[in-house]
Amino acid sequence: MSHAKAKAEAEPEAGVDTATTASMTVGKPIAEVRSLWLEPDTQSRIWSHFATVRALDDGTAEWTVPGLTGGEYRWRTATVDEAPDRLRWSTHDGADVPNAGVLTFRPAPGDRGTELHLAVRFDPPGGVVGQALAKLFHVAPREIVRTALYRFRALALTGEIPTTDPQPAARHGGTDR
Amino acid sequence: MRALCWNGVNDLRVETVADPEILNPSDVILKVRLSTTCGSDLHLIDGLIPTMRAGDVLGHEFMGEIVDVGAAVTKVAKGDRVVVPSFISCGRCWYCQHDLYSLCDTSHPKPELQEPLLGYPTAGIYAYSHAFGGYAGAHAQYVRVPFANTDCFKVPDGVSDETALFISDAAPTGFMGADFCDIQPGDVIAVWGCGGVGLMAQQSAMVLGAERVIAIDRYPERLAQAEAFGAIPLDYTKVDVVEALRELTGGRGPDACIDAVGMEAGGTGLQQAYDRVKQALYMETDRGTALRQAMLAVRKGGILSILGVYGVMDKFPLGLLMNKGVTVRTAQQHGQAYVPRLLDHAQRGELTPASLATHRFSLEDAPKGYDMFKHKEDGCLRAVFAP
Repeated sequence: MSHAKAKAEAEPEAGVDTATTASMTVGKPIAEVRSLWLEPDTQSRIWSHFATVRALDDGTAEWTVPGLTGGEYRWRTATVDEAPDRLRWSTHDGADVPNAGVLTFRPAPGDRGTELHLAVRFDPPGGVVGQALAKLFHVAPREIVRTALYRFRALALTGEIPTTDPQPAARHGGTDR
Repeated sequence: MRALCWNGVNDLRVETVADPEILNPSDVILKVRLSTTCGSDLHLIDGLIPTMRAGDVLGHEFMGEIVDVGAAVTKVAKGDRVVVPSFISCGRCWYCQHDLYSLCDTSHPKPELQEPLLGYPTAGIYAYSHAFGGYAGAHAQYVRVPFANTDCFKVPDGVSDETALFISDAAPTGFMGADFCDIQPGDVIAVWGCGGVGLMAQQSAMVLGAERVIAIDRYPERLAQAEAFGAIPLDYTKVDVVEALRELTGGRGPDACIDAVGMEAGGTGLQQAYDRVKQALYMETDRGTALRQAMLAVRKGGILSILGVYGVMDKFPLGLLMNKGVTVRTAQQHGQAYVPRLLDHAQRGELTPASLATHRFSLEDAPKGYDMFKHKEDGCLRAVFAP
């Protein structure tokens, strides 16, 4: 599938701000990058700025996202291993915020490794569209996916995700928040 | 532990903070032996760089002894005396593997903060605002060093702590600036600024074979230091710099010009007044007098090597560069690419980084040290802190 098509499929019919795309190049072969993405532990680590992701025994994952105004949103996703160059996931029925994503792997030119193209779409309940989505979560959709890809790239290349929390500072209980 | 904390514009205090911890497998904890002031810290202290937060620990130029290591650390060990470049680099990404360490793709913990400013995030740096990673600095008893396999360099016996200290930042930055000049036999190199980076750039240009090195500043003691190792001093308050450079190069102009000054350049005349007023009104942040002179002075087809730190500058005379066919090369320091050879040059006495250490303080007196450094009192070139 072309990138444009994957993106179109991930976008909702209205309210473009509820859908977002991001691309990142990781200097590793496709097979290695893909296999790392599919590890359950990877998902919980790269989305931790947004959600707590818990891998369940049946291959699905349970997502818990704190709401901006208190409470939390929950959903369960199943990932479909659609093709060697593509993964797709969507939420089960009953999700608090239904959403879906498509991740496409493409060879990068030269020795640059693998391009990841990620498209994610949220279908907020109650007709919430556009920027209002950012009012549900403490982070906007664009940042949700870009930060996850940055973290994934760091993990793939170095085996760790850079952090400064906690660290010495004279405020905020020793963290830098 | 005790640490020097930024509390606001011109408000530094030594406070008690939590000790650093190993957070990732390739981290080490360093017991700081020495750290030093850098001119670029003055931008933070003066409030010219946003995204500082009250309580941040300062200090990005340091060396020390490893006292704790993470599980993935293999190339250094507890007890090693090491120097650490100020930019944090993973050694694994495309940029690190092309010796562009300060552009590391993976060491910035909050790339989403920096991406809107620069398009793509740079490496994280110690103590240089949250937009640049927010890592705690080294004006402290201990500092956490990530990616120790790439970023910690053992200091050979016979290289003093003070020599190693400046191989963290001033020496590699200066050396990189000279390296950018692609120095050929007969080349004349002019360097604006005789601070730590400028003096190191001048010495490096000599090591790399420059025919003649010209050092530009206004402080007699700094010019004297440059002259002592063979550079030709120029006091920009006493001569017309561009004319003097033309004279010193038989009318050709320097083959390459290095700006080791940056956004807080001193200057004279109307342009300086204009720049300063706009800076004061937050209409622009940079003065750029040195850079403007360098652009005018450099020979046609020459190289302009920019080491000074800049934010935003308007009325930038781009046409000078275009019409003269000037090549601009610039970067934050790619220290990891240079540290081993700098330790060799220092061991052979070809570079004398320790000569930058003019004033020594305990960590507790670090605010006094910064004050002296900022106002260049008593000929202070660099203040060095020992915890």
